[in-house]
Amino acid sequence: MIFPDPVQLAVPLFIIAIIVEMFAVRSGARGDYDWRDTATSLVMGFGNTFAAVIFGAAIVSLGVGLHQFRLMNIPVAWWSLALCFVADDFAYYWFHRTAHRVRWFWASHVIHHSSQHYNLSTALRQTWTGQLSLSFIFRLPLFLLGFDPKMILFCAGMNLVYQFFIHTETVRRLPLGLEWVLNTPSHHRVHHGTNARYLDRNYAGVFIVWDRMFDTFEAERDDEPVRYGIVKNLATFNPVWVAAHEWIAIGRDVVSAPDWRTRWLAVAGPPGAISGDTADHIRASWVASAAVTADITPESVPAE
Amino acid sequence: MVWTSLFGIITLMLLARALGFAKAPVLADDAEARRIAGDALHGFRPVDAALALDKRGALVAGGDGRVALVRPFGDRWVVRVVNGAAVEVKAGKMRLQSGEFMVPAAVLDLGAAAQSWAQRL
Repeated sequence: MIFPDPVQLAVPLFIIAIIVEMFAVRSGARGDYDWRDTATSLVMGFGNTFAAVIFGAAIVSLGVGLHQFRLMNIPVAWWSLALCFVADDFAYYWFHRTAHRVRWFWASHVIHHSSQHYNLSTALRQTWTGQLSLSFIFRLPLFLLGFDPKMILFCAGMNLVYQFFIHTETVRRLPLGLEWVLNTPSHHRVHHGTNARYLDRNYAGVFIVWDRMFDTFEAERDDEPVRYGIVKNLATFNPVWVAAHEWIAIGRDVVSAPDWRTRWLAVAGPPGAISGDTADHIRASWVASAAVTADITPESVPAE
Repeated sequence: MVWTSLFGIITLMLLARALGFAKAPVLADDAEARRIAGDALHGFRPVDAALALDKRGALVAGGDGRVALVRPFGDRWVVRVVNGAAVEVKAGKMRLQSGEFMVPAAVLDLGAAAQSWAQRL
């Protein structure tokens, strides 16, 4: 079985899809673009490919090295490919959840959320520092389990390609019960939201069932439009600042911290732990204020 | 590959611009400025607002004494609490420098309201 690089193959499709979406939006479909925002997203995606080239070989070598100590020999077959895809998506869920809950990982992942737009170009707004964050460690167990390294990389690529297409407002809901199983444009819009209700929800890559299983699912509500971006939105399109701003903020917080506990919190605590604006705090405040006037109970919007 | 990617980026950027995705946001009224500030700052309860005369920015006062600057960014808005910012008022124009890295000074033409809003900061 041959495993090509799905991302490389999909790049022309990405470009065509963005052009089609732009024309669709111009013709009245839901969604929006801003040329400056799109330029920043594309430059971030461009830089991400450089980082992958520079550090990719070392990470693949690490995976292949671990594969020498595999627990079992999983043959390359269609059933193992399907199993690997699901296992990789499960690993992605935990990477993604950690990327939102631990500032060290968030410092890389925040880049993807730093646009106030949500369109196909946003999907390409990717980090330059994912390798520095060690985000690859979440996939290493797959190598240890015994999946073929090429198969793992193929599944990871397929996961990325799938996720590109859900970064759109043009699609409202998918039919045939797919919303229950798959991560869809609707579910992922929620994930990009800064509304208190939507913060840190729907971490899924392909299968939304992980969020349903682990109580991190939130459905998009038609009466509450998603406000895209981050809690403190950036005020520049400068790609270097977009890539580095959270790392620099971590550095500043560590330097100005009064003790080691605070330093640890600045690096490994949840994003917003130093400023007091964690997702849990924002959600708790919102629940407390909204419960007075609406049918919201703390149980209906659980904290993590 | 590098040149192909750069060509793709520039093409998409120019296409977006040619299709008119280059709006400069304008505030409709005080209520919109208050809503934007309230949405952007969790726990912020807007009570008062002053729109710039060109409607391309506003100051919004919260019930807790905080004052938020609503400023354009691309075709969207960015909101920052500006209490303690360096303020200069000349002929009704307020120049605000928050000191935040990579955030340029904001200039709001608030007319006669400029001086009183400066005192709130």
